[in-house]
Amino acid sequence: MRRVVEIIAVLVVSLILALALSGEHPRQTETKEAIVENGLADTGARNLVTSVYLGYRAFDTFGETIVLLVSVSGVIYFLSKGGKS
Amino acid sequence: MRKTDVVDVAARKLAPYMFLFGLYLVSYGDISPGGGFQGGVVVASGVILLAMAKGSRAVAAYFPLHSLSLAETVGFALILAAAIAGLLMGAGFLADIVAPTGALRSITNAPFAFVMNILIGLKVGAGVSLICLTLFGESGP
Repeated sequence: MRRVVEIIAVLVVSLILALALSGEHPRQTETKEAIVENGLADTGARNLVTSVYLGYRAFDTFGETIVLLVSVSGVIYFLSKGGKS
Repeated sequence: MRKTDVVDVAARKLAPYMFLFGLYLVSYGDISPGGGFQGGVVVASGVILLAMAKGSRAVAAYFPLHSLSLAETVGFALILAAAIAGLLMGAGFLADIVAPTGALRSITNAPFAFVMNILIGLKVGAGVSLICLTLFGESGP
């Protein structure tokens, strides 16, 4: 019984994925072209990856630093010997 | 864990170049491939290599855990200060407060990205080193 349920679940998921992957998908080029044309002038960074992650998407980078801060806090909290080391 | 001379010598010869390469990735992040996160992780991997070869206790003499913790928190505070500075100057949170210069210069022509890369590199290098040294210290020698 359980195996039948698993097989049905796999079939349903693969059907959804097949539907999602089939068909025409126009290439998204507008964002790329805008960054290639304006990245250097907007942010001054010659590395366009940097112009994205510190220019256009600096807020995401800020969030990543918060994630690392929280993870460091968690590791120290759970592994230090009650803060008495 | 039994240590061999091969690991010991390789780690001690390799670690300075890993630190140098990490600092290069951090400081040239806005010109060539690299950046604060990647460079910081490379620096941290140098610390981890030394910790694997010499033991986390010996490495903690050079990189004390409370100093790494301080660098992590001060790095985050400076990033937050840089973000709020844009707010105070009326440009918006995390805005580029130093106007990028049009002319291509050899060091950097994106001063804001340069400073942020260095701050993020400091923070990530200290943070990842701190995580790994804490983890090694629990079960290591």
